[in-house]
Amino acid sequence: MVPVEHYMVLATLVFFCGLAGVMFRKNLIMVLMSIELMLNAVNIVFVAASRELADLDGQVMVIFIITVAACEAAVGLAMVIALFRKYGTVNTGFLRMLRG
Amino acid sequence: MISYALFYLIAAFILLCSMMVVVSRNPVTSAIFLVTDLFFISALFAKMNAHFLAAIQILLYAGAIVVLFVFVIMLLNLKAEELKGARMTVPEIGVLIVSAIGFVVIAALLGADGATTGGDGRWTDEAITAAGGNTFAVAMRLFVNFVWPFELASVLILLAIVASVVIARKDSLVSSGVGSTAPAQGKGEKGKVAHGTR
Amino acid sequence: MEQLTAQLNEVLGMFGLALWNDAFVQVVATVLKFAVLAVALLQIPPVMVWLERRAPALMQRRRGPNRVGVSLGPIKLRLYGLTQSFADAVKLIFKEEVVPEGAHKAFYHIAPIFGVFPAFLIACAIPYGPPIDVFGYTIPLSIISVDVGFLFIFAISSLAVYGVTLAGYASNNKYSLLGSLRASAQMISYEIPLGLSLIPIVLIYGTLDLNKIVMGQENFWHWGIFTAPVSFVIFFVCMFAETNRAPFDLAEAESELVAGFHTEFNSAKFAAFFLSEYVAMFVLSALCATVFFGGWQNPFISNAALASFVVGILNAPLASFGIALGAASVTNIAALIGIGVLALKAGFFMWMYVWVRWTVPRFRYDQLMDLGWKFMLPLGLANVVGTAFVLAALKF
Repeated sequence: MVPVEHYMVLATLVFFCGLAGVMFRKNLIMVLMSIELMLNAVNIVFVAASRELADLDGQVMVIFIITVAACEAAVGLAMVIALFRKYGTVNTGFLRMLRG
Repeated sequence: MISYALFYLIAAFILLCSMMVVVSRNPVTSAIFLVTDLFFISALFAKMNAHFLAAIQILLYAGAIVVLFVFVIMLLNLKAEELKGARMTVPEIGVLIVSAIGFVVIAALLGADGATTGGDGRWTDEAITAAGGNTFAVAMRLFVNFVWPFELASVLILLAIVASVVIARKDSLVSSGVGSTAPAQGKGEKGKVAHGTR
Repeated sequence: MEQLTAQLNEVLGMFGLALWNDAFVQVVATVLKFAVLAVALLQIPPVMVWLERRAPALMQRRRGPNRVGVSLGPIKLRLYGLTQSFADAVKLIFKEEVVPEGAHKAFYHIAPIFGVFPAFLIACAIPYGPPIDVFGYTIPLSIISVDVGFLFIFAISSLAVYGVTLAGYASNNKYSLLGSLRASAQMISYEIPLGLSLIPIVLIYGTLDLNKIVMGQENFWHWGIFTAPVSFVIFFVCMFAETNRAPFDLAEAESELVAGFHTEFNSAKFAAFFLSEYVAMFVLSALCATVFFGGWQNPFISNAALASFVVGILNAPLASFGIALGAASVTNIAALIGIGVLALKAGFFMWMYVWVRWTVPRFRYDQLMDLGWKFMLPLGLANVVGTAFVLAALKF
């Protein structure tokens, strides 16, 4: 059986890919997709831990994470649509109205 | 041995797809790489004996959430990002900090002694099969112990549906100009009005 | 020879298999079953195309193609147009492939794959018959036996949306894009009632595994259509919407958006979309037959009884050759009968597809979306709640 640390390392690497996407991409939708990637990394951790500790609560938690990710993606994309209608761009460089 | 080989193969594909998601210029290409990424993560779940989660992951994530992303990208007709390397000073420091944290985390994980605390310890693979399969066991946990979070999650979904419909409407408060004015670049509605009347 | 066996055993040992142990036999059987299934599924489009031309012709009081036949020298067999489809297939493969100018380089070529791959993968999860008994090994007749049967099928069918979406996006054509967005919006809208309509089935039969659901329909009055009739109605309607067929084929209506999302695809890629559409139709028909009509079960006679009857008849002449057919043959013949029965039922639903297409006029797009969201979805939800209440009441 593959030791659980390997799964954790994989999840960490995927998480940092997502984090890099959030920090460096200028397109708001790409930022949202990178957030989904981070959530998937967390899913991997939960399922691996659930298998290691022989407890099913980890898998139940993953169901909730997927649900919340779906809701957050829906609301986030609705906001992206509204922002695009108002400002004509989804470039995070321009959408800085809340600064300060 | 086959277990190790399978894990490394799937893990290699997951990392490859994740990097392509972040690196692709075209948003639709990123979305498709995200779909393949989710597909391989689902394969990983199936390998870890979480069959229900594997199916749910493809059904919800790859089949609904990313489809939503693709729809929005196509409806807004977003083009590929231009490469602008000029303003990247603050993110460069960010790269260093993040990779430092990353190295520390990975080193800690690989050096851990594997002590496992917490958890039931009851639900080994044999126990799950004896209880009637992975789906049955997860469903028992979900509907017996976690029934309140389950109901709250359904209320949350309802809220999200209502919120997204309200925010994305044409005459919603967000897009009709309530709030501060901002530089209107590209083809926003303010730009259209500013081009004069016909 | 012994050395070869020893080496083969060593290689297989790394995978946890051994020569001719159960796991190895299952792997070999899976590969063979998939080959047989792929060949069988590839025969469906030609037959369906012939049916789609002859049946509406006869319904509209004309003849349809009935000239193409086979001629071998002086023997001329008039096959009433059956080989027309082979002529079509040959034409499609040899046609020149024209890639439109601004087409996205990668997506244009992989979009058909996103259409074909889910259809074939779902076809692997359907149980085609009772397990067969070969040389003492019991081999189940579904290529993948997943214990989350339904969820797997819906998960993979939701990947078919990408084929449509990418096809329209990749062709540099605004009508294609519009057609693909409409088609994919329709497909995802009707996926939800499709899944919801099968939840009462899960509640009634108590399992997600398709094999067990077919086993649970041994009694004729336990067939899905009697225990969950509303589910059948919803599933039947959503079946058409999911494959972009019949009254819901607005996105590829010939008189409207040219050919919708596959306008710019020609020759082999068009053949791939065509194939994926018909295989998806077959898969949903087979799923409908499996869940609501008993799958490979016969109405009042069990397959085993029929098989022993057949074996009894066959044993008489074969006894003169000294061959006696035993219990294994009964199982195998029962499996063959089961496959035939399922093929018959799925064929009936394929005929329904053709019949409905040429009978009912097309929906307008807003009518289509209204039907999906405002009628099918609440009906599906009410169906789930109602079934749950009835089941709970029956328990007392």
